[in-house]
Amino acid sequence: MTPDGRTATGSVLATSSVSSAPTTGRGGPGPRRTGTGRRRLGESTNLSGWLFVAPTLVVLGLFLLVPILMALWVSVSDWTGKGNPFSGDTGFVGLDNYKVLFTEDALTRQDFMTSLRNNFYFVLLVVPAQTVLALFLAVVLNQSLLKARGFFRSAFYFPSVTSSVAISLTFLFLFTGSGAVNSLLGFVGIDGPNWFSDARGLIHIVGDKLGVWSIDSPPAALTDSGVLSLSWWDWLSGPSVALCVIIMLVVWTTTGTFMLMFLAALQDVPQDVVEASRIDGANRWNTFRAVTLPHLRPTMLLVITLGLIGTWQVFDQVFVMTTGGPSKTTSTPAYLQYFYAFEGQEWGVAAAMAFVLFLIIFVLTGLQRFLFRDKDAIAEKRAVRARNRRRRKALAAEGGEVR
Amino acid sequence: MSTLSPARRTPIDNRRALLLFLGYVVLVAFALIYLYPFFIQVATSFKTDPDAVRNPLSLSPDPFTGRSFQRLATSDFPLWFLNSVVVTVCVTVGRVFLDSLAGYALARIKFRGRQAIFTAVLAVMAVPGVILLIPKFLVLKQLQIYDTYPALIVPLLVDAAGVFIMKQFFENIPVSVEEAARIDGAGTFRIFWSVVLPMARPAVITLTILSFQGSWNELPHFIVASQDPALYTLTKGVATLTSGQLGSGNQFPLTMAAALVMTIPVALVFVIFQRYFVTGANAGAEKG
Amino acid sequence: MTSPRRTPARTARRRAGLAALALASATVLAACGGGGFEEDSTDTADGPTGGEGKASLQMLIASSGDAETKAVEDAAAAWAEESGNEVKVVVAQDMAQQLSQGFAGGNPPDIFYLDASLFPDYAVNENLYAYADQVDDVDDFYQPLRDTFTLDGTEYCVPKDFSTLALQINTKSWEAAGLTEDDLPTTWDELADVAGKLTTGDQVGLALGPGRDRVGAFLVENGGFWADSESGEITADTPENAEALQYAQDLLKSGDAAFSADLDSGWGGEAFGTERAAMTIEGNWIKGAMENDYPDVDYTVAELPEGPAGKGTLQFTQCWGISAESKNQSAAVDLVNFLTTPEQQLEFADAFGVMPSRQAAQQDYVDSYPEDAAFIAGGEYGQGPVNLPGVGPALADLDSQLESLKSANVEDVLGSFQKNAEAAVE
Repeated sequence: MTPDGRTATGSVLATSSVSSAPTTGRGGPGPRRTGTGRRRLGESTNLSGWLFVAPTLVVLGLFLLVPILMALWVSVSDWTGKGNPFSGDTGFVGLDNYKVLFTEDALTRQDFMTSLRNNFYFVLLVVPAQTVLALFLAVVLNQSLLKARGFFRSAFYFPSVTSSVAISLTFLFLFTGSGAVNSLLGFVGIDGPNWFSDARGLIHIVGDKLGVWSIDSPPAALTDSGVLSLSWWDWLSGPSVALCVIIMLVVWTTTGTFMLMFLAALQDVPQDVVEASRIDGANRWNTFRAVTLPHLRPTMLLVITLGLIGTWQVFDQVFVMTTGGPSKTTSTPAYLQYFYAFEGQEWGVAAAMAFVLFLIIFVLTGLQRFLFRDKDAIAEKRAVRARNRRRRKALAAEGGEVR
Repeated sequence: MSTLSPARRTPIDNRRALLLFLGYVVLVAFALIYLYPFFIQVATSFKTDPDAVRNPLSLSPDPFTGRSFQRLATSDFPLWFLNSVVVTVCVTVGRVFLDSLAGYALARIKFRGRQAIFTAVLAVMAVPGVILLIPKFLVLKQLQIYDTYPALIVPLLVDAAGVFIMKQFFENIPVSVEEAARIDGAGTFRIFWSVVLPMARPAVITLTILSFQGSWNELPHFIVASQDPALYTLTKGVATLTSGQLGSGNQFPLTMAAALVMTIPVALVFVIFQRYFVTGANAGAEKG
Repeated sequence: MTSPRRTPARTARRRAGLAALALASATVLAACGGGGFEEDSTDTADGPTGGEGKASLQMLIASSGDAETKAVEDAAAAWAEESGNEVKVVVAQDMAQQLSQGFAGGNPPDIFYLDASLFPDYAVNENLYAYADQVDDVDDFYQPLRDTFTLDGTEYCVPKDFSTLALQINTKSWEAAGLTEDDLPTTWDELADVAGKLTTGDQVGLALGPGRDRVGAFLVENGGFWADSESGEITADTPENAEALQYAQDLLKSGDAAFSADLDSGWGGEAFGTERAAMTIEGNWIKGAMENDYPDVDYTVAELPEGPAGKGTLQFTQCWGISAESKNQSAAVDLVNFLTTPEQQLEFADAFGVMPSRQAAQQDYVDSYPEDAAFIAGGEYGQGPVNLPGVGPALADLDSQLESLKSANVEDVLGSFQKNAEAAVE
């Protein structure tokens, strides 16, 4: 190992991810590396490697892996919260706790289904809204002609870094009956609702306004039958007015982070291609669709995945602002499992809820990745082809040669 | 051409000016939406209760009063603040150190089982945090540290995303640096501690900030990890204000003052270290 | 095996490095783990099983406001002074949640307020220490209240106090509406009538607190109730109950009455104190809140109007619960004895308006607080809470349905509670 050799290796490998590079250097100095020495050294690197990761492994194992296994046991047990769940007093009940969630027409299933419904509408509104808004703000901020972009970027990002508790309290104040939001609405002649005590569903309200049905006497066809402990009328409620406040809050706080991701991706969009497209006579919108958007696809996938994962976990805001009310319309599975365990002492059912929630998140993100992956590859291919074609055309027009 | 005769504007210039104008309108409008709530928070914390209810939009307290802050100062609030500081400092120091160690090992030390560990770390990142509430409570109870400072701190000491960020960074540091040190006879830990870690300053700062912000704002873990009011952190304590721990009803100036005080440290760090926040957000992007 | 070809110095340095690493990790963990403030060590290191030595008790209360908190803190401090023990009074945000977490976490408060409606579940789960037989002159407590805290023949805890619901009226609004003493509502129709007269642009006639514990009074006045605690029968889906809920719903729909939440208030007392409502239906605890938070609002208290079935109100009580797992049970019992003397009960009555649960204190109370006649009268005909084991979730669901009573179908509300509660009782 000459000094020259080292420098060479260093500069070449500087940006690569070849982490096995130090094999040569690891042995320490000198040509005296005998077979024995190498084994000894291998052992000592093994030792230090494990020592380095040991604290991480212990903490992750102890507070992640072990707890999950313990909760798995509790979800098939009849533990009531008293004493040790692993002592002989706690019985094995098989899948009973899961059956309570899905097959027994009682209050627990009704609560759980209500929370799933609420969370479903929550995801349905939050994920598209935060994705579109983040993309929109990123595109605007990416216009190099605008001044003070740094300030605006910070302004949009700031809510993302502040405490959810502080923000929840602030929104509680903004949205009280006589609060800032209703004052604003008052300026334009709208009599705002009592946000946090209004359990009416958005779809119910819209239908009522359009004359499709009356909220006070909903159509019997919808109320008299249903599935999984909720009537069709209940399933079709849409998010309640109170839930809408949480939806707005979450969109408001998460947009900033996603905007930064889009912004980083936008800065990687090859400007020559954009310009080529513009020269071709495509207008802004078409350029955006044909060039920029395909380029953003991986980021889009990421943002939607993170959005899906995050929105199925909404807890803090419910805990601070509504504790599930009014009329359970802001209860989410994440909050309900907490409530059932820590308040209702129904630990088994609550743990079962947590695992169902885990499964939902897991399946949804997997499904979403799968769906996007295909389109992604196709779009990528298409974009590359289009780009090449355009480049070729552009170069040909300039009389250059296609490389 | 147009620069030569600014008086005569082409349609394209007009269009561009209009777009620019629209761009500013959008930016200013959204900046108001994103910042006005914080202005209201600040203003309301200096208002009296009736003033807050009567003029919720106004940014000038009338009369101006610091009574809310006085009330906070004489309540448990200082204790919560202190607890938050203790927990945040411990978590941040521990996390940066342990994440760097593990990140370094995964990036640079070739030991048996490394790949398996890295895969495990990636898998751990996929576990949604909120489903761990009940499990964490169970394990803390089982370890007999429920309702103690360790219960608040230790489970937060390592985060898989931080390990990932550090690993990424270490991989980009030239190997030659380590080799030079190794020839001088430095051991693995010394190389890590005095050679590589100092070079990783940007990553360390990013991680420090993310850990600080994450643990300062953490709520669910503190809810399930303790019960004793002497162990309340700011987030947990302030969350109780909504139901009138300090008296009956919605005393908005009080809650806004509490929200303000807990926002200030993060806001300061944000203003000073902005670009690291940006790096952090995008490091998060890469991990997906 | 040959010896390693490494200089001892280098090996030592390497070892030192690893040791430093281990040490550093340990320091981080220890600094954060072991440290903390001194207060917390006193909390965890409780004295030996009560009686001998100094005990450190934790008391969890659900407070109606600063007045109640302060009164309980003062009383606890007085006992601590006298007995040489320590008491830390904690105000619960959410009593049920904090108690449950305490029991599950293995460190519940030693002594706590226990609401009659929560009592049966905790008793069944063996969370409670049955100490009533150790209380001085236990026969002096009102028998109906004692029965509330007795399950399967075991009397667990003694009632702290009791209270009833009555009608509070804002004097200024009353006079402004041109009403006199003769107009005090004694029937449902009259209540609706005065509520209408008191409703102005910025004030609603009547504010109702949330949940079954307020509208339940109308059920009693109509001869019904959610359940019969004695027989364990759920009696929700009767025409009488439907009629009573319908009456409440009509009041809400008319705009002359509103839930406190719709008036930006956490409970009826707040809506009343901030003068967003001219009347409210609350219990004795409103006195303390009015005195402390809204001293400028003048008001009078009247009995609730009679319904078709005559007079009716709700009666509430809580006991001093002692945890079965407390290490300081005898000290806690000692504290309960201190807190339930007639003198101390009168002090609490003075501070936040609750009524003594001891007969020995009753005459003094009646003499000292003539203005509380309406609350005291309610003691005669008040209906206690539903306290059947297992119905907690069904009751919580009922409360959540009542939040949207204004637009709900009253038969559906009663029917679903009937179904859920019956399933819980079996």
